[in-house]
Amino acid sequence: MRTHRRRRYLVVTMVIALIAAACGGDDTTDTTNTTAPADTETTMPSDTETTEPDDTEEPTGEPIRIGGTLALTGFLAATGAIHQAVGEVFVERLNEQGGLLGRPVEWVLLDDESAPDQSAAAYERLITEDEVDLVIGPYGTGNITSAMAVAERYGYVFPHHTASLTYAYNYACHFSSWSTGLHPNITNPNLIYDALESTGTPPATIGFVVNEFPGTMFIAYGQDGTDEGGAVSLAEDRGWEVVLDLTFPTATSDWAPVAAQIRDADPDFLYIAGLGVNASNIITAMQAIDYSPAGMFSQWPAPGPLLQTEGADGIMSVTIFEEHPPFTDNPDAVEVSGLINDALAEADIPYTKVETQAAASWTAWEYLTQAAEGAGSLDQAAMCDWLLENGADTLFQGHIEFRPDEQNYFEDLSKLKQIQDRDWWVVYPEEFAAPDRSLIYSPDE
Amino acid sequence: MDLISQGVVSGVLVGGLYALMSLGLSLSWGALKIINLAHFSFILLSAYFVYQLTLSYQIDPLVTMVLVVPLFFGIGALMQVFFHMVKVDEFKSLIITFGIFIILQSLIRTIWSADFRRIGSELNPYATESIHIGAVAFPVSQLVAFAAAVLIAVGMSLLLSRTYFGKAVRAVAQDREMARAFGVDPRRVAVILSGLTTCFSALAGLFVAVGQTIFPGLAVSWFGIVFSVVILGGLGNTVGTLTAGVIVGVASNTAAVTWGPLSAPLVTFLILIAALLFRPEGLLTRRSVA
Amino acid sequence: MTGSRLRTLIGFGAVALTLGFFPALQEALDLPRFLVIFLFTTMFWVSQASSWNILTGFAGYFSFGQGAWYGIGVYTVSVLVGKHGWPFVAALPFAGLAAGAAGLLLGVVVFRLRRLSGEIFALTTLAVAFVLAAVARLSPAIDGGTGIFMTGTPIPEFLGDFSTAMYRLTLVFALLTVLAAYLIHDSRLGWGLFAIRDDEQVADGLGVPVFRYKMAALGANAFFAGLMGGVWSLQLGFVTVDDVFNIRVPLFVILMSVLGGMSHWMGPVLGAVIITTLSDRLNSAGLADVSQIIIGALLVVLALAVREGVYLRMRDRWVTTAAIFFGVLALVTVLDINSSLISDFAYAIVATTVAMLVPSGVWERVRAARGGNGRGGPPDILAEDLTEANT
Repeated sequence: MRTHRRRRYLVVTMVIALIAAACGGDDTTDTTNTTAPADTETTMPSDTETTEPDDTEEPTGEPIRIGGTLALTGFLAATGAIHQAVGEVFVERLNEQGGLLGRPVEWVLLDDESAPDQSAAAYERLITEDEVDLVIGPYGTGNITSAMAVAERYGYVFPHHTASLTYAYNYACHFSSWSTGLHPNITNPNLIYDALESTGTPPATIGFVVNEFPGTMFIAYGQDGTDEGGAVSLAEDRGWEVVLDLTFPTATSDWAPVAAQIRDADPDFLYIAGLGVNASNIITAMQAIDYSPAGMFSQWPAPGPLLQTEGADGIMSVTIFEEHPPFTDNPDAVEVSGLINDALAEADIPYTKVETQAAASWTAWEYLTQAAEGAGSLDQAAMCDWLLENGADTLFQGHIEFRPDEQNYFEDLSKLKQIQDRDWWVVYPEEFAAPDRSLIYSPDE
Repeated sequence: MDLISQGVVSGVLVGGLYALMSLGLSLSWGALKIINLAHFSFILLSAYFVYQLTLSYQIDPLVTMVLVVPLFFGIGALMQVFFHMVKVDEFKSLIITFGIFIILQSLIRTIWSADFRRIGSELNPYATESIHIGAVAFPVSQLVAFAAAVLIAVGMSLLLSRTYFGKAVRAVAQDREMARAFGVDPRRVAVILSGLTTCFSALAGLFVAVGQTIFPGLAVSWFGIVFSVVILGGLGNTVGTLTAGVIVGVASNTAAVTWGPLSAPLVTFLILIAALLFRPEGLLTRRSVA
Repeated sequence: MTGSRLRTLIGFGAVALTLGFFPALQEALDLPRFLVIFLFTTMFWVSQASSWNILTGFAGYFSFGQGAWYGIGVYTVSVLVGKHGWPFVAALPFAGLAAGAAGLLLGVVVFRLRRLSGEIFALTTLAVAFVLAAVARLSPAIDGGTGIFMTGTPIPEFLGDFSTAMYRLTLVFALLTVLAAYLIHDSRLGWGLFAIRDDEQVADGLGVPVFRYKMAALGANAFFAGLMGGVWSLQLGFVTVDDVFNIRVPLFVILMSVLGGMSHWMGPVLGAVIITTLSDRLNSAGLADVSQIIIGALLVVLALAVREGVYLRMRDRWVTTAAIFFGVLALVTVLDINSSLISDFAYAIVATTVAMLVPSGVWERVRAARGGNGRGGPPDILAEDLTEANT
């Protein structure tokens, strides 16, 4: 009995204290230096590291705060780390070159732990508590989807990279920096199949191994509920026989059965609609049972591990940028690539070359900054309109337009790359192929 | 038919690895009454050590065992000493070892980053070599893992039934105080057993590092399989664990090649549920420890 | 109705009213909107931890399966709303019902058909979660790997905008869950559950309807977990098997309840508040990596050091608790160390929690040395019983 009375008094006093504290301790104005002290580890204030003399004016005034999350922990963290490194390089370079609208830029980066609900909550915090001026998207389809809903609610321009479910994004001010176009389930496979046919010896039989991840399922089978088609049906349309169509759980660790089934089906061409190290593991498992398909493709592999996988020579993938001519004909691209290489090496990331993830990351930042500069302000609506009207001139992907009737998507700018001599080279279309490199494929191995 | 036989063979072989991964948990649960979830992180940690040593010193991964096994013996022994200091029952041990698992996994991620790690093929020829009998391939790394599992399972079984130490372990598992009355030091027995079982986990880690790409999140994916094997095999029953490992491996692989890989996890967990409901004492009711 | 029950229900009412008016308060005082989001996140966890504790804390049947009920709730709503266009609010009750039904089904199997020991029951619940995840992955009718979009789900006008709607829904369901936990705790059912926890056979012998009571606990656990899961599908936005059936929910409910105390219905509530606050502040400070390690360490330390949970200790030492909490709160507010209200509370909470870690032995000696300090009276016998029983 005593305890219940005590408890009630406690509750009442707590409520009073709560109101008192709210009236007294609230400070929505001065947030720049005091929130999140550890933010300074991930931001590059303009007055520290760089010691060489500036030839551009120092950015001055209140910092512009750009908020975002990334998967710094959790199962998406491997690629999240790349985006973190690239973002830091971008912000540092931006500040060295005069900042944004003459003001220094600060990146307020939070960890969403690879969880979409955390990502959504974090963006709400960034927008409503930290009151950031701009936002930039997270990594990972699920996280991007959830965060986009938050951005839409508050009317923030939302540039993002590598969200695979293109058809789902209807927000008028979302801008994808991964140039796959609105229908990658059609354009990506067609790119590969056109390339195969260009060799004059296309496959007669084809096998599909699909990761049960929404993005790869989309590429392989098309959008649920439509007959738009995906890699599998497009192969059938070309008259190739589909001899294998397997779906595997994302968390698979034992690849022997998959390898056994591939060997049993013996396709002329193996399409691995997978991510991360799926292809590396599948190839290793196939090697262990002494099987090697005539040709292979991996949708979104982690490029580094695949290079180190025995038996991966000849495998193809898609990319939007690679560090060789003609992509490196642009000296600015070379310079920035160098900076990114260094940053990735410093972050202890084994594969330090710029390719799809890093390039898309950089591009997303360019959208944001060009929008602000172009609109001359940080007004979200003005920035959004400016982008829709003018598009963006990006370092790694050239000029990009945002087509409202295609949900702000542009064309599919993917190119086909292949591992030859233990490195990645773009081989198709020809005008983008590395010098002296072309697609090597023949069904008879 | 080739496909099925290949599926069965790889199921048997991978079952050996599953058994190796499960022995640590099974023995500590059966003999020491500690549900040691930290074993999952030990396997992972060992895999990372193997990876790192192989890379830094450019040596054959198998050679790293010389360093890693004794190290993990020490870790296991220390862990048991810790448990003696704090006196836990099975539930508490579950929570505490879960906490240790989380800590170790986070440490691994902090040190090696969340990125995928793979021993390059120049240093690791085992992943892709295989022996052939007819149309069926026996991958070398899996073969070695299986052989190791058999040796250890049988060896431990003999140890537990024939040697003085083994009898001491069983005595402690059955009745601590009685054992003490008969001159057995339960603490010493427990510490040595714990060290031993952690060595098995370390060995499992070696085969993981050699056979696939590793990343911090890998450990969580083993929970379902290991629990299935542990329960099906019977707590503390080493040969039972080996058999259970093979059963789980064969069942899931056969399911995978017959109905597609998506069905494999379902099969594994249905086995687990069936084992829990119908045979929680283990398939081979022959009691090995407790 | 007894006097104490009336008082507690009034307390509930007071809390409900205060929290209910918070969004309006937030707008009127121009506080950051994020407080609303933070609070509804906290309420999600309060509900999950409380529902879990009904089975594990009260009845003593350790469950690793919170993810299963939560997942059923999320997917029921997602499938009905996202795939079949049902109105969101209409689908919510089904989330709870589906999860509850699944829980009862499991109960029939494990409590009647098989008598399972504690650890085996725990593993069975874990296995159920795995099986459900596998089924969700396999079946295109449920998920099939493609995920379900819940973004853009229309929310009825009367609930307000997105965060207000989430707030109101989570508030109502959290209150219901905690109310249920309280009513169970202070009822014959609760007494029966505690008896089962202490010694099931003895309880059976005493005439406790063991099977029925266990089913009630499991059913309540599953129902409330599923209900809140249904609400949470909106926050997830894009529902995938990996994001729903993972270790987060099962792990955190354990942590929160162990921290707060598993033998009292306030324990999980307090634990949820503490953990959510700490975790939020660590994340916003960019220390998410560290927070994982801290959580692991907390789990170990708590299981060892604070057997009965922080709540009972706080209640036992309530004068000191209140003094430290409000003292630190006042201090950080006055010193204006940081700008976030949540951070202010976080400091106060951490200080108070650390104070709770002082072992009982030391505490008693200090109290005895100080002599009478106004509290007087014999120690609260119930608290002692529960303390000893809950090891």
